[in-house]
Amino acid sequence: MIDHVVISTEGLSKRFGDRVAVDALTVAVRAGEIVGLLGPNGAGKTTTLRMLAGIIAPSAGRAVVDGRNPASEPERVHESIGFLTESPGFYERLSAERNLAYFAAFYEGVDAQVAAARELARLGLADRARDKVGTFSKGMKQRLALARVLLHEPRILFLDEPTAGLDPEAARNLRELIVSLRERGCTILLSTHNLSEAEELSDRIAVFRTRLLAIDTPKALRERQFERRLRVRLADGVEPSLAALREEPYVREARAEGDGVLVVLLADPDSDRPRLVSRIVQAGGRILEVREDERPLEDAYLSLVREEES
Amino acid sequence: MRRRIWNVVRMEWAGMAATPSSLLFLVVIPLILVAQALFLSWIVPRFVNPAILGPTVTDAGALRLLILRQFPFFVLLIPAMVANVFATLGIVEEKVSRTLEPLLATPVRTWELLAGKILSGALPGLVVAWASAALFVAIGYALGWGSQLSSILTATFFLDTLLLMPAVSLLSFILGVIGSSRARDAKEAQNLAVLVIFPIFGLIAVQVTGLVQFTPVRTLLLSLAFLAVDVILLRGAVRLFGRESIVTRWK
Ligand SMILES: Nc1ncnc2c1ncn2[C@@H]1O[C@H](COP(=O)(O)OP(=O)(O)OP(=O)(O)O)[C@@H](O)[C@H]1O
Ligand SMILES: [Mg+2]
Repeated sequence: MIDHVVISTEGLSKRFGDRVAVDALTVAVRAGEIVGLLGPNGAGKTTTLRMLAGIIAPSAGRAVVDGRNPASEPERVHESIGFLTESPGFYERLSAERNLAYFAAFYEGVDAQVAAARELARLGLADRARDKVGTFSKGMKQRLALARVLLHEPRILFLDEPTAGLDPEAARNLRELIVSLRERGCTILLSTHNLSEAEELSDRIAVFRTRLLAIDTPKALRERQFERRLRVRLADGVEPSLAALREEPYVREARAEGDGVLVVLLADPDSDRPRLVSRIVQAGGRILEVREDERPLEDAYLSLVREEES
Repeated sequence: MRRRIWNVVRMEWAGMAATPSSLLFLVVIPLILVAQALFLSWIVPRFVNPAILGPTVTDAGALRLLILRQFPFFVLLIPAMVANVFATLGIVEEKVSRTLEPLLATPVRTWELLAGKILSGALPGLVVAWASAALFVAIGYALGWGSQLSSILTATFFLDTLLLMPAVSLLSFILGVIGSSRARDAKEAQNLAVLVIFPIFGLIAVQVTGLVQFTPVRTLLLSLAFLAVDVILLRGAVRLFGRESIVTRWK
């Protein structure tokens, strides 16, 4: 089951007139995975999610969601997905409960009242169930919107910027909820601008700008984009160690940084590391710390997006 | 399928109940129309010399009959207006509140959504129209116009209220949907929707001039013509109401 693909696209494209919004997207998302869709404004994230959710038709290519083509059988696909839209709205003059019951009643085999009450409780809105949605804050509406996509307990979720507009605590609660949904076996495709959120939640991140620029685990993305350098902090002068390292064949690059720090690029950052340490010790260096020079995901993301620009 | 359509109908009604002004509209406009028709039927024969209307109108009773004859078409206005207002408000509200996209992400079919909206506007519209007609006739009898009334409660009258009226209110609804899919706000939609009333005024004008006699057959044919137009326009409306155009063009 682990490798079972539940969302896949092949050459999925969308143009609006002359403007290409999504260009030949090919991806596969496995069951139980959280994939983050990361891209600048206007990258085509919302357009992609809308095509997957069967709301707009692709101009070319195709998608398969839970074994069905959303363009030809949108209603069947809707039974098994939950789609949190970019700007979710409600009937503001009616209560939260009434709003949810309305949406729930469109699904076969769902008891609308029960489902509405269950999701209101899950999202911590039970005490406001009877209040008009018009009286809700933005964050409460966003939580209510998430409650709405969970009414039929879908196995596949498309979340378009789920934490947009939430305060830090609410955003954290929501991220915890997303993780708990994955634990229950949901497959989640979420779009976001928030890099640390993408990194925290996603098993894999798709960097996207009209075209798919890269898709991989957050760690692999960083490593792919940047060479892995080691930072070695020494108790005293770096010069003797630096001179010794420059003689070594497996050291591709070494330089001093500030007082007492060596930055070293190795041929293989893992297997050459013990050799590096013993060579420094041999040269009389007293090592305080050896660690990988982690570049933030943000740098990897920006460099991918800028490569695409130029 | 039925469950989803009724879900839409009940939600529309819950929305109306939460907006007392729409209920006011539903009740007040028909009452005004009925009162107006009663008033005209009462006052005109009283103060107008029948002779000015030509040689066929010989006395006040004949003049009243002439006015009462207009009533069936007068009643047409009621469901048409009600359906129209609900259609435009219902759809504009979905746009303004951004509920269409979440709605389209559920298993509801476009036509089910439209059918629900049609029923939610047309049912109260027709009920109110029939109630208004009954009220009018009852008051007419109470005022002693029995003989004139019984001559208008003909097959034509019943075809008119039971067939032509629903056909016209459906037309009104569809035009409302099309109008509101182009409108940016409720006000603009309402302005477009008022256009719908014109064909009805046209019918009234034809009736008043007496150029065309509305026989049962003609009423039946007219109803069928309206239904045919309904079907053609409904297809257009469903297309306009396609998921893609709603989400990407209804801004
Ligand atoms: N209905 C439309 N008509 C014309 N162009 C559109 C339409 N919808 C989207 N686009 C264009 O498609 C491109 C992608 O838009 P999309 O909304 O998918 O981006 P996004 O990645 O979701 O951006 P954001 O992060 O700002 O939400 C943009 O250039 C946008 O202008
Ligand atoms: Mg977007």
